[in-house]
Amino acid sequence: MSGPTAAGGQAAEPHHPAVVAVERDASGRHLARELTPGAFLAPRPLLPCPDRMRIALVGTRAGLLAGDDLRLHITVGPGARLELVEPSGLVAYDHRGGASAWRAVVHIAAGGRLDWDGQPFVIAHGARVDRTTEVTLAPGARMLWRDTLVLGRSGERGGAVRARTRAVHDGRELLVEDLDLTDPGLRELPGVLGPNRVVGSVTALGVRPPGPPHPYRTDLAGPGAQVRLVDTGAPEMEADLSALYERWRTETGPG
Amino acid sequence: MARLAPFLLTDGRFPVGAHTYSAGLEPAVAAGLTRARIPALLKARLHTTVVTETAAAVLALRASHHDPVDHEPVQQALAARTPTAPLRDASAALGRGVHRLARRLAPDHPAVTALARLRPRPLRPIALGALAAVLDVGEEALAHGIVYDELQTIASAALKLLPGDPLDSVAWIVAVEPEAAAVVAEALAVRTPTDLPARTPPLIERWALEHDRRERRLFLA
Repeated sequence: MSGPTAAGGQAAEPHHPAVVAVERDASGRHLARELTPGAFLAPRPLLPCPDRMRIALVGTRAGLLAGDDLRLHITVGPGARLELVEPSGLVAYDHRGGASAWRAVVHIAAGGRLDWDGQPFVIAHGARVDRTTEVTLAPGARMLWRDTLVLGRSGERGGAVRARTRAVHDGRELLVEDLDLTDPGLRELPGVLGPNRVVGSVTALGVRPPGPPHPYRTDLAGPGAQVRLVDTGAPEMEADLSALYERWRTETGPG
Repeated sequence: MARLAPFLLTDGRFPVGAHTYSAGLEPAVAAGLTRARIPALLKARLHTTVVTETAAAVLALRASHHDPVDHEPVQQALAARTPTAPLRDASAALGRGVHRLARRLAPDHPAVTALARLRPRPLRPIALGALAAVLDVGEEALAHGIVYDELQTIASAALKLLPGDPLDSVAWIVAVEPEAAAVVAEALAVRTPTDLPARTPPLIERWALEHDRRERRLFLA
């Protein structure tokens, strides 16, 4: 791994998580209780908004290589609202037989809200990534998450990724998914991905967004909804998901 | 009863509405699946949805032997792993038939009365787990039965949707025997609802949503 290893001159340990903890005080002001850079991402506050905290997750390394373990801990306090922005996507490069991990742990307290506009995660040829996202939502908490996995850079069949998501709302499992795209022979089967290489979704947890129906919208068994698209290339799908993300972000009412 | 029951569970003449279900074949055919790719679709389902459903049925059967019987944790775990609403609806519709049969055979069995308390209504694997308890079918026979039923459902729906040599369907099923055995082993190894496998097939989910919007269709899913 070359390049700078930490932002702001702070040394970060190889498995050090980036930590973002946001609270809302009695007067309604948002405070960043903790903004700690991790080994791969540095949280940077953006221009303040009256009703929320906006934070950019800035990549501080080139991407994921074998042995890398990116960790991210997000906490949203009671009634607080956090918007996470990613200025650029992430690439997992050829791991030359090794593996890497990407793990996010999200806690949202009662009445809290997280909007996370995730950028594409590219799994290049030879990469092998284990990605897990664990979300815990208290009653009245909600999260909007945009997420795109791209298998391979252009012309590549793509590396291996297993993306697991477990969202628990009010103590009950709301959405559990295991997108196992590890074995190209299995993921290219009809019904899994077939010839597609891009999987993108916008997921609402804790709330069922109103608004015009999308042909690929599904309502979850509990309070939540998801639109997932698959495609052979990213651009058209990204436009559709961006529009949907904005609609769901603005139409689900004030945080 | 225990000798005949495993056959009953997987018989296409079992009067619980399975003839209305193509296990995803009709939506796949509408999306362009050809007859030559049916074995690949069987593999895809054996790797994903079938594992989840089989393991859920086994957990429901185990829960049926507890006192009191509580199907809620397994039903909840299965629903969280079935994000596509039309697939949950189809599972509940099929579950209703299985539940009716279980009530007819053993209305007072604790596993059956526990089904009636579930809201929303029991999904098919949960009802099958309870029915297996009523019929005194063991875990392994139940797991094999569910996997076999899935394969036969697709194979027999293929006779209507992509007609060809009917002998092919037997060959398809025999060919995926190793994958079927792996599903049974994985399902039996699951100990708690939290550990229920959740391997997601994005295109199967997408096709189910497309199918749900279609007016002309033979099968409900």
